[in-house]
Amino acid sequence: MEAIVSVKRDQPTADISNPAVPYDEMVKRAGAVHPHYTALEARLATLSPEELAERQRTQERFFLLQGITFTVYGAESSTERIIPSDILPRIIPGSEWSRIEAGLIQRLKALNMFLADIYSHQQILMDGVLPRELVLNAPSYRREMQNLYVPHKAYANVCGSDLIRQPNGEFAVLEDNLRVPSGVSYMLANREASRRVFPGTFRSAGVRGIDRYPDLLLTTLKSMAGNWRPNPQVVVLTPGVYNSAYYEHAYLARLMGVPLVEGRDLVVHDNFVYMRTTRGLRRIDVIYRRVDDDFIDPLTFRRDSSLGAAGLFNAYRAGNVMICNAPGTGVADDKAVYAYVPAIIKYYLNQDAILPNIETFLCREPAQLSHVLANLDKLVVKAVGASGGYGMLVGPHSTKAQQAEFADALQADPANYIAQPTIQLSTAPCLIDGNVEPRHVDLRPFILCGEKIVVTPGALTRVALRKGSLVVNSSQGGGSKDTWVLTESKGDAK
Amino acid sequence: MMLARVADSLYWIGRYVERAEHMCRLSDVMLNATLDRSDAATQVARIALLAVGDTNVSKAQAPYEAALALTLERGDGGSIFSSIAHARENARQVRDQITTETWERLNIIYLRMNNPDAVKAFHDGSQVFLHDTIADLHLFKGAGDATMSHGEGWSFLQLGVHLERAQLIGSLLDVVFGERRRRKPLADHFALTSILRMSCALEPYLRVYTAELQPRHILNFLMLDEDFPRSIRFCTTQIESHLAAITRHAGLSANAGPERLAGRLKARLHFADMDELEAQGASAFLKTVLDDCWAIHRSLYDAFVAYSLEDRLPA
Repeated sequence: MEAIVSVKRDQPTADISNPAVPYDEMVKRAGAVHPHYTALEARLATLSPEELAERQRTQERFFLLQGITFTVYGAESSTERIIPSDILPRIIPGSEWSRIEAGLIQRLKALNMFLADIYSHQQILMDGVLPRELVLNAPSYRREMQNLYVPHKAYANVCGSDLIRQPNGEFAVLEDNLRVPSGVSYMLANREASRRVFPGTFRSAGVRGIDRYPDLLLTTLKSMAGNWRPNPQVVVLTPGVYNSAYYEHAYLARLMGVPLVEGRDLVVHDNFVYMRTTRGLRRIDVIYRRVDDDFIDPLTFRRDSSLGAAGLFNAYRAGNVMICNAPGTGVADDKAVYAYVPAIIKYYLNQDAILPNIETFLCREPAQLSHVLANLDKLVVKAVGASGGYGMLVGPHSTKAQQAEFADALQADPANYIAQPTIQLSTAPCLIDGNVEPRHVDLRPFILCGEKIVVTPGALTRVALRKGSLVVNSSQGGGSKDTWVLTESKGDAK
Repeated sequence: MMLARVADSLYWIGRYVERAEHMCRLSDVMLNATLDRSDAATQVARIALLAVGDTNVSKAQAPYEAALALTLERGDGGSIFSSIAHARENARQVRDQITTETWERLNIIYLRMNNPDAVKAFHDGSQVFLHDTIADLHLFKGAGDATMSHGEGWSFLQLGVHLERAQLIGSLLDVVFGERRRRKPLADHFALTSILRMSCALEPYLRVYTAELQPRHILNFLMLDEDFPRSIRFCTTQIESHLAAITRHAGLSANAGPERLAGRLKARLHFADMDELEAQGASAFLKTVLDDCWAIHRSLYDAFVAYSLEDRLPA
């Protein structure tokens, strides 16, 4: 899952600036669980460690047979691994979800308005809400997108935000993923698996369904085509079978019933995009692309890319094809712009953010830079342009030498860095070697935005399977589990 | 309507799966020959190797090793492992086009072959290993038949299966009956049953010709039988009908290249005369059949997959 950005935080030391004990999703206090977890807890009490382990094996076999794997390429041969999937669901009560949902809708609405503004009149920059150079110098800002019509002003059509639950129990947004977020197939596969593992508990818990996601995604994509043609042809564009998220691309194409194309299947002629079929060329209206901006068109972006189609961007500019998400959406999930999202929400919607941000220090501001430099051993420092856990310093787990190295880098190019406090992610019960133990988790819900904004009532819960670890990346020992969002009436028993 | 690349992949899944199944049978027959130290056994192993396209017949002295290599050698593009790996790689590329049930069957075979313990499993029970693989390949075809839509994609898959099968049986027959390579006439009962086993034809043959094993009947059966699914004639009928379906889907005229070639090939086998064939020699006829198969393969690409864009661009 390449686009899953890391949540790399580490255990705080016995530091007074962050004394908090992580919030636990199941256990309220010693001996008592949250009401929405009582049914699951009762069910677990009836199962022996062997029975649980057996269920875990059944689930792993399900993933293996379905080919829900990522490939590890070696010198001689390649092996396929499954992304570990934990069988114990993470449960979120209905009332809590309503708040998350409202917060996500508000946030995506504001970010799309921001993108529409940035790529047209740039009123928000005139009004000085955020520094002009911070936006226009961001590597993800695409000048090519300037003054281009995007239907419904929906630039980011598929968004997968990373939420974390803070020690006080409140959810906060860690990152907005507006480029090509992945992981939705794991959300759906985990659900398919957990229905088999805990059928009884699932039935009585009142879990909201997520299986309409492919249908909603197709509707969203079609709504971007406007009314030019009665039956718009939608395709999914994948970098190909060697991409680590290929399974997901094929999965979505299959469930939407649309072709899964690669760059080599596409032909651009007279600013129209076609795919090569057995019946000759067939025109395409909407491309749900799972290829990064840089690679979609060698004539406009990276010239050495062979993953996209030459001339695709011009066809887009001409209005003959829709690219979803629009190129250039990355500027709105830039790590420095992130710090301004509450201000952006205020500016466009005149509302306070429902979901808070994590406190973020912008090193471009001299006062904040000196604070960061003085607290390098406590903070997490991130390079603005980088993602996936690169270019990062985790203060409490770093050496003096690493801190000194970062101090130099910060002073040399302060605008390239931000810093955040080290935050304890919440923990949820997981099955570890037959025992139920708490592990740190985050939450990635998926939001769709076309003519309307829709949040699927479910999410991918990523798990740091190593004890004490706060890293939920699949590449670093992370796994995932199903997320049950309960209907409003259930799970709110007081 | 489907992507040209997808059609191409489905076609190759069909070819690779068929090839793997055929190679499993050849391996199995070779292993069977190891139980018997007679001259006929060496002869059978040699035939199997030649039918695989391996001209190093000295391997026939060690049929067990040859069968192991043919089954699991990763470096050899013609091994069963390679065919399964290629079939599955193609299936992964068109994962959205084949049903989950079909995919699962192929994936299971691949996972077993790719398992580090595969060599051990082969040593523990080589015939069981091959038998299971063949059975799983049948399940794959059955799952496809029962769950996939029998539309254009299915026709491409079937086209791959039957073109490959016609070519494999054709090559086998050429090795056995072609006068170019024949050393001494096959008369040994063991050798003759082995030939039938290699093409999974023993029982169906017995039902038609009884236990009277005669080279002429075997050639007739494997080449010209109307109903046996591994006879070349049966294959050409399938090729012709699936090509007709594809041409219809694509909205091309029936006079287009591939369909004309397929019709001609079908007619060749339909109206072949065994006496005439024997008089002229089987080799010449088989060569025509194999050449026709290649011509169909090429014209298929020209018409549906690697066509020139200039003819197809909107005016």
